[in-house]
Amino acid sequence: MHTAGGWETRLHRVQGIMATKKLRRAKLSQELCERLSRYQITTCQDFLCLSLLELMKVTGESYRNVQKLLRKVSLACAPKMQTAYEMKVRRSINPSAAFLPTSLHSLDKVLHGGIPCGSLTELTSPPGCGKTQFCITMSVLATLPVSMGGLDGAVIYIDTESAFSAERLIEIAGNRFPTYFDSDEKLFCMTRSIHLYRELTCDSVLKRIKSLEEEIISKKIKLIIIDSVASVVRKEFDTKLQGNLAERSNFLARGASLLKYVAEEFSIPVILTNQITTSLSNGLAIPADLVSPAHDLSLSEVTGASGSGKKESACVTAALGNTWSHSVNTRLILQYHDLLTRQIVIAKSPVAPFSTFFYTVEKSGLVLQDGKNLSNLPWEGTNPALQTIQVRNTALGNALLKTTDETPGDTPSP
Amino acid sequence: MQRDVGSLPLSPALRARLLAAGFQTAQELLETGPCGLSKEIGISREEALEALQVVRQECAGDAAKTAGGSGSTRKCTALELLEEEQTQGFIITFCSALDNILGGGVQLTKITEICGAPGVGKTQLCMQLAVDVQIPECFGGVAGEAVFIDTEGSFMVDRAADIATACVRHCQLIAEAHQEEDHLQALETFSLESILSHIYYFRCRDYIELLAQVYLLPDFLSEHSKVRLVVIDGIAFPFRHDFEDLSLRTRLLNGLAQQLIIIANDHKSAVVLTNQMTTRFGQNQSMLVPALGESWGHAATVRLIFHWDNTQRLATLYKSPSQKESTIPYNITPQGFRDVQPPPVTQNAEGTEMNPRKRPRREEEK
Repeated sequence: MHTAGGWETRLHRVQGIMATKKLRRAKLSQELCERLSRYQITTCQDFLCLSLLELMKVTGESYRNVQKLLRKVSLACAPKMQTAYEMKVRRSINPSAAFLPTSLHSLDKVLHGGIPCGSLTELTSPPGCGKTQFCITMSVLATLPVSMGGLDGAVIYIDTESAFSAERLIEIAGNRFPTYFDSDEKLFCMTRSIHLYRELTCDSVLKRIKSLEEEIISKKIKLIIIDSVASVVRKEFDTKLQGNLAERSNFLARGASLLKYVAEEFSIPVILTNQITTSLSNGLAIPADLVSPAHDLSLSEVTGASGSGKKESACVTAALGNTWSHSVNTRLILQYHDLLTRQIVIAKSPVAPFSTFFYTVEKSGLVLQDGKNLSNLPWEGTNPALQTIQVRNTALGNALLKTTDETPGDTPSP
Repeated sequence: MQRDVGSLPLSPALRARLLAAGFQTAQELLETGPCGLSKEIGISREEALEALQVVRQECAGDAAKTAGGSGSTRKCTALELLEEEQTQGFIITFCSALDNILGGGVQLTKITEICGAPGVGKTQLCMQLAVDVQIPECFGGVAGEAVFIDTEGSFMVDRAADIATACVRHCQLIAEAHQEEDHLQALETFSLESILSHIYYFRCRDYIELLAQVYLLPDFLSEHSKVRLVVIDGIAFPFRHDFEDLSLRTRLLNGLAQQLIIIANDHKSAVVLTNQMTTRFGQNQSMLVPALGESWGHAATVRLIFHWDNTQRLATLYKSPSQKESTIPYNITPQGFRDVQPPPVTQNAEGTEMNPRKRPRREEEK
């Protein structure tokens, strides 16, 4: 879809945050800066990427002096040190600022508070499971006052699928917090704080992410949602074409590091949604055909594609590849369980073990079914990048085949 | 003294002038003196004096090396090395199976690399090590401090606090059982606050900040001489995107590796790096391999690969100069990085045994 030439012009040289700092601001002498600029060395990045011998040549200084210069430039770029204790103290001064509770109490408890601030949380699921519902609910929650568990701030909602519905927003708010949203005034005030952006290409999404820093300050944003990353990426990158896989990883990695910077700098949560793909046991991933979920599980089609004639086991997992799985800090999976109930799974979290919860989608959004027995779980925690996700067909199949035997103490089959 | 002028660490321009004037050895320079030098080459007397001081220092350093002096020399016999290695500290991981295959734990003065899929427990082990390095000597630790360089933002203070609390509790149980004077004394200073205060955290957001921080690390370690562990969590992340010039990337990574080896040796610290896995496409299949390419594989002395087997986490010792390649299972519990618990005997007798490889889902008693 994109030729190598087209992307070359877009992927200009690495622009780190500190890297573009000009050497003048690293407290090097004026004449040295002028001398270096003749060799096209103007930023700290240019300086630090050279070897010692090259630096001796361009600066004309001795080995020892060059080392001193290196230290000076490094001091200008290096991050500040904090001890873990200082970080803990800072967090305990403002404990509510560390998490955004999801109002699903069992989930919040296991997550040690809720969606963590300052890191990326990914929500993956097959279509129709409730991703957008969850995102809309989180938007409402972020605007609530701190006393009710919210962040008392505005929300940036980047919508790439045109799935956001303002009416559903009001319905969820009114049904979930009827005592708080008791007047139209309050509802409109809340809707005014949710800033919706429709971005339909990778480029515009990236541009929007870059503009976030200023918007967060001016609009007092406390939550960023991108729904969804996968749809816009899969439209433009076809991993079967040569070179597209690397380009896609590049785009995702850049987006991830920009978002991480913003999340950490302002200590706010960032929620990203993802889609599903079919992963064969030999590792090749075929984008799941979202129009017809039946294709996800059609083994014959899959073996035909690989051409080997052998029956390979295929499973549905989160899309966007292995590198993306590394970039997000928390991964929540929504999947089908049976006709009505679905499951929310904590597949990757630095603070929580692998856990599942049952829920249904109702007028007030997602509602946990706490009474349900967890020991019927057919899936166990494994590699978050390969965690299998149950799509609608398997759920229906299971519901029809399953016995109604739900006694506790059943050890789940491995 | 007979050192060639061309090999002296003077500025290139000065070196060129000296060679053009016909100087060949360092001795000639020293014999000429600053005034004579300045007249002959046409530089100021101050510059000449500076150059001679550099030359003198170099030669003094050379002489010390040939006389077998200590400090910057790296020459010793294998016996001395054996004695050193046997008294070498190890940082335990609290998972005895892992410590066993590593030969005692994470070794000081060596670079250990941990590769693994996302979510398998690399950062958990790093946080565990940052706490374990501080265990007092009377409990079998190295009583050191830790530097934690984070490039991915995965360090969670609350989690580190949980791991530290569990470690302190573990030491308290040992002290209660043995009732020795030095145990109780050590416990007075070994607390949650002191552990967290001795983890020095740096957040590097791109590869330039990482390079800069590693350049500054020797100075930092000289000021904080008790540091025995340097963790770089996510050596791969800053180098994996936006690098069209792969040869530059290789060069920078090699430079980093060299600097880390020097740091590990000079400051008697363990260096632990975590790496990601990447997909490599073969003929008909793809497989996961450690990221950053083949040449990076040479950087680390010890390489561990963490992976999954269904629901069990496994650690494989992939590369080690002294230990055999082997694989062991491990668990991540609320207390941190631990062994897999063997099944309790009573349940076996009943015939309904618990699968020992399952990760406990409920909170264990603390």
